[in-house]
Amino acid sequence: MSETALSPEPAESKREARARHLRYDDRIDLDTKVTSREAAVLIGRSLKLLAQARGLFAAKVLLSFGFMAPSILLPWIGKIVTDNVLLQRPFGDTDVPYPPFMDPILALLDGMAPMEIMLTVAVILVLLLLVFGTRGGSFEEFGLFEGADAATQGENQISAGSSGAAGLWGIVEYMVNVRLTQRLANTLRTRLFGRLTRLPMTTLDDQRIGDSIYRVLYDTPQVPSVCYELLLTPVLALIWGAVNLYLIQYTYSNVAPELVWIAWSAFPLALIITFPASALVRRTNQAKRAAGAATTNAMEETMDNVYAVQSLGGMRRDAERFAERSRESFLRERFALAVGIALLVVVFALMIVAAIYITRLVTDQIIDGEMSPGDFFVLFGLLWGILETATGIGSFWIRLQGPVAAVRRVFFFMDYPVDEDRVHGPQLDAIERGVEFEDVDFSYPDGRQALAGVNLELKVGELIAVVGPTGSGKTSLAYLIPAFLQATAGRVLIDGRDVTEIDLDSLRSQISYVFQEHVLLSASIRDNLLLAKPDASEEDIQRALEGAACMDFIRELPDGVDTVLGQSGDTLSVGQQQRLCIARGLIRDTRILILDEPTAALDPKTENELVQALQAGAKDRLVVVIAHRLSTIRHADRIVFLEDGRVRDVGDHESLMATPGGAYRRFVALQSG
Amino acid sequence: MLDARRRSGNAHLVLARDFLATVAKMDRAEAPSISARRFGQLIGRSWPFIRPMLWHLVAFMAINAVTALFIVGLWAVASDLLMNKVLVGEPLQPVQAFVLGVDDAYVTTEAEDEPLMAAEQRKLVRDRLLIWYGIAGLVFLGGLATLPYYEAWIRHNFNQNLRVAMIERAEHLSLKYHSHARVGDAVFRVYQDSAMIVNLLQEALVAPLTTTFWMALALGTLFVLTPEIALACIAVGVPVVWLTAKYTPRIRRRARDNRMANSDLTSRLQESFAAIKVVKANRAESRILRRFDADSHRALNAAFYLRLEIALLSAMVMTLAGGIAVGAEYVLAGWAIGDRETYLGAAMAAWIGFTVWNLGAFNYARDQIEEGLGNANWLIRIWCKAQDLFIGLERAFFLLDLEPDIVDGDDPQAFPAPLHSVACRDVHFSYELPDAAPLPVLRGVDLVARAGTITAIVGATGSGKSTLMSMILRLYDPERGSVAFNNTDIRDLAVDDVRANTAIALQKNVLFAGTVADNVGYAADGKTLADVEAAAKVACAHEFISEMDKGYKTELGERGGKLSTGQRQRLSIARAVVRDTPILILDEPTASLDAATENRLLKNLGEWGRDKVVFLITHRLSTIKNADRIAFLEDGRIAELGDHDELMARPNGRYRSFVEAETIGLQAAG
Repeated sequence: MSETALSPEPAESKREARARHLRYDDRIDLDTKVTSREAAVLIGRSLKLLAQARGLFAAKVLLSFGFMAPSILLPWIGKIVTDNVLLQRPFGDTDVPYPPFMDPILALLDGMAPMEIMLTVAVILVLLLLVFGTRGGSFEEFGLFEGADAATQGENQISAGSSGAAGLWGIVEYMVNVRLTQRLANTLRTRLFGRLTRLPMTTLDDQRIGDSIYRVLYDTPQVPSVCYELLLTPVLALIWGAVNLYLIQYTYSNVAPELVWIAWSAFPLALIITFPASALVRRTNQAKRAAGAATTNAMEETMDNVYAVQSLGGMRRDAERFAERSRESFLRERFALAVGIALLVVVFALMIVAAIYITRLVTDQIIDGEMSPGDFFVLFGLLWGILETATGIGSFWIRLQGPVAAVRRVFFFMDYPVDEDRVHGPQLDAIERGVEFEDVDFSYPDGRQALAGVNLELKVGELIAVVGPTGSGKTSLAYLIPAFLQATAGRVLIDGRDVTEIDLDSLRSQISYVFQEHVLLSASIRDNLLLAKPDASEEDIQRALEGAACMDFIRELPDGVDTVLGQSGDTLSVGQQQRLCIARGLIRDTRILILDEPTAALDPKTENELVQALQAGAKDRLVVVIAHRLSTIRHADRIVFLEDGRVRDVGDHESLMATPGGAYRRFVALQSG
Repeated sequence: MLDARRRSGNAHLVLARDFLATVAKMDRAEAPSISARRFGQLIGRSWPFIRPMLWHLVAFMAINAVTALFIVGLWAVASDLLMNKVLVGEPLQPVQAFVLGVDDAYVTTEAEDEPLMAAEQRKLVRDRLLIWYGIAGLVFLGGLATLPYYEAWIRHNFNQNLRVAMIERAEHLSLKYHSHARVGDAVFRVYQDSAMIVNLLQEALVAPLTTTFWMALALGTLFVLTPEIALACIAVGVPVVWLTAKYTPRIRRRARDNRMANSDLTSRLQESFAAIKVVKANRAESRILRRFDADSHRALNAAFYLRLEIALLSAMVMTLAGGIAVGAEYVLAGWAIGDRETYLGAAMAAWIGFTVWNLGAFNYARDQIEEGLGNANWLIRIWCKAQDLFIGLERAFFLLDLEPDIVDGDDPQAFPAPLHSVACRDVHFSYELPDAAPLPVLRGVDLVARAGTITAIVGATGSGKSTLMSMILRLYDPERGSVAFNNTDIRDLAVDDVRANTAIALQKNVLFAGTVADNVGYAADGKTLADVEAAAKVACAHEFISEMDKGYKTELGERGGKLSTGQRQRLSIARAVVRDTPILILDEPTASLDAATENRLLKNLGEWGRDKVVFLITHRLSTIKNADRIAFLEDGRIAELGDHDELMARPNGRYRSFVEAETIGLQAAG
């Protein structure tokens, strides 16, 4: 794809980028660089997902907001305990006023002896404990143990939640948060799954299963964190910061005005210090995810092909390949971690300097008698709150970059053009006439030409055999009919209408395609047929199985059609699998039926039965058979002979054989000779 | 989908409904039980994977422990200095003055009515203290910069060891296991379940110990100051333990359900992508999407309820602990007002000014209570998480503990060279089906194939041809009878030796991600590009490979997309040929080839395989004719054996009627 696109970049760097990604087996998603601007766009798109969970999000915001009440109260209660209980000073000893929300409590405590005050305070604390769990603990960073790489952390992240509270409030907030995270991630992963299944055939050839698994299961859980980092965290932090600011302003403005500005200067400082590193964070995170996907791929490929691996004696080799991929993936994890650590160290250093400076300022005031010792705790608590908020907001951009790497991987395939993008074309009525090819060319995205100048008319009621040497473009030709591929020049018409403009549902629901590879699900035989036609009746199933000559072996199976097949159908022989795949093609009873080498693995007797069944069925439909075997080909009404992507001969067996020097005749002579 | 829409309708109602449903379901399913012995066994099983990194782990934990002890000690002194000395102005203890480098004028005389320090003195003490804070900050930053990376490195190594062992085991398990297992399940076990090992030592063994240590340290310190309150804190352990015992089985059940649901989801995903072409052809995209959505919801619900159980238990424990803390605070406040002496304060007077309950002592004791109870709380949380951890490891080791049923004998013999014959004697075999009687395939096969001959195995589909070849590769062991090379039973040879001396071109043309050369040389170590090319020429693949832009360096997609089936078939054959082994098995080698290519290929193979035992499984008459001998397989036995002419000469012969079926097919068409 990148070869065909014109690019202003020098060829050298492009090649390097390609080489780098080939290490992670990537063939489609090659240009992984994200500018800050593109990152901002990705983040914006993630936020739109919140519309899917408005109610939960509102609940989460309100619950977090509500928990601020006890958090604001606690430092002042601490001040009362220190000043008025332990040090037994009277109220109003210093110039520092209490904020207005403390008035009811102060009115209650007015004139009490220290121990009476303490008792009242204790009762208030117990009430807060029951409702908010304050002083008991919190549901912050509450999750399960997780692994040491992004994939295994994904399981935990998709159900992540937290609450500063405990008690009843904490449980509700935490569980709402978990549901919110799940809703957001699930919305995205379901959509991504849908997009991936709708990729064009040519792309699917290059897209690795392991990579798809990684993106759907392990990249999508990063999206909620983007939403939280951008909306929830800063909004709550800002409100929290503003409240603290107001309190300081209200109570301490005359004693230490500069403190507030020191705390707030942490915000731009954190942003300025971390911003230059954002591209590095994105790059290291992208690499760790690509390496993780390559590991998944190595594993999936080995497990899925274990029969081949074992019979070819490739066990050690495959284990080594997996070990190498896995090692690389862990190394990339650590690179990303190292960048994160470096930034954390910088931010923490900043906070330590600030803390020392603030301590010095506040203690000065206390020693000079302008504040009481109890004020130290209040003030320090408030300032620390602001400082944390400020550095938190300041570093929000850098924290977004890790997730952005994952989100980019998700949106890459969300945006990838799929054939479904034209799903709302006009409907195709019941097919009556047949298929026409008008000057059709087809080239693969890599430039290889598969078909050139094909002109054909295939009518309903015909049994057509497509014949030709291997690699002559037979499958490409057949793929054009259900629009698995789209002609690069010329048109493919069904009943006179261009297939690329027809609604895909109405097109493919009238065409059955039986592939060369026999793909069966590890489910029951019945379920394998129901995949093609979910509402099939028992008679439909029987009819299809008999048509494909499956009943003789199914009868011998202990559970008949309900026998569960092993992994990719391995309990059956290849010939039996092939027949089941054909049955799956027959069950829909569509007007057009395309079979790609249906008889390759069949013995002659079974082949005869099958071909006769096809012949009988071809009376009121169009049957296209790609075949090598003469015994199959000869039954066809017409034979299309392809060579090097061009139609060399069209006609029935007799007329083609009668053409002296004809391509088909030579072909037959070889086979019978 | 529908479910999702209903859910988004009213989140709170759904939450409440789900919760009630959970409570109702809670006691139905049986909880997996994990005895203390099983805990020990799992740790023992993990040991070999942890062992190589042991010293790093010990070093890492030692650094942590030293740092922690240091912090605890300093914290007490620092809070005394900051609160009692700087904020209130009490004079310093002698050692404090020494550390801060101030003279005797700052030191307490222990007199009853001792005056407070002057403002300048307090500021100097403060400044010196802040210098120490700065030094501590630098040490902290140093640790922050290095320790997490070190820890990650150690954990990654644990996980790498276990992962690789699991994938090796999974690859060696016989096909009997794989035909019933789902690919996604293996992926989930190797990935997600094995990842739990990184937490095993640290979180399930060391963390509980260190947390217990911290808890004991805090409560011990508290005990020295006030045994009454320390005992009250310990008493709260009784209800906590009772609650935990009650909740543990539920958490285990949830943890298991969670892992099973997520494993199912992974399987479903893998299978959907593996079958994607069929899905597209049948317009089943939206149907599998709905199924995925349903599976996804099931997995997320399982994760949700697991967390809910843990959250409920935690909230109860936290509330109990918080209650004790508030109560203790009330009592301590009373003591501080009454200037009651602490139990050990006087003995430590040179270091720290906690002789009576003052502001510093109150805050310090309060911190110790919170520290002790916080650690207890943490311990409970680790316990809950450890349930999930052990369920995960159980699943990982389930795979690792499966014994491959095809194993080398005690003293395997060398592979016989030169090889003269391959013999099957009375071989019986049936496939095991899940929940059903086994399906017999071979019922007494007798066949001898000699070096320098081509034996064609012919028979109806499903007659057991491929299964018979699996016996020669020892992918399965026969139930009865034997396979022998030069009269040496295959079971007396090493499995790797057997497969190293047998090359097979599979009927399903599996290609792996990699270049053309990688794929041809897949199972042949130490072969040069020239060898690969030579093999490709025998397999008639050289031509089309050379026509590709990058020739042998062309990258192939997943499952070898972009090549036609006939091309892939020839690559498979080249892959078998390049290994140059004494036995060659070609399973339907010509099914997807045109006649011209087929002829050339068979001619090449005939020349190339002159001193080898070659088996051909095929239906094509044109291919069969090239064989020296034909073994006709029917009903799990060799029904007929001989060359084409011999077998055709038998009236009513099985082979003859088989061949005639093809001819009749031709005539019917003609």
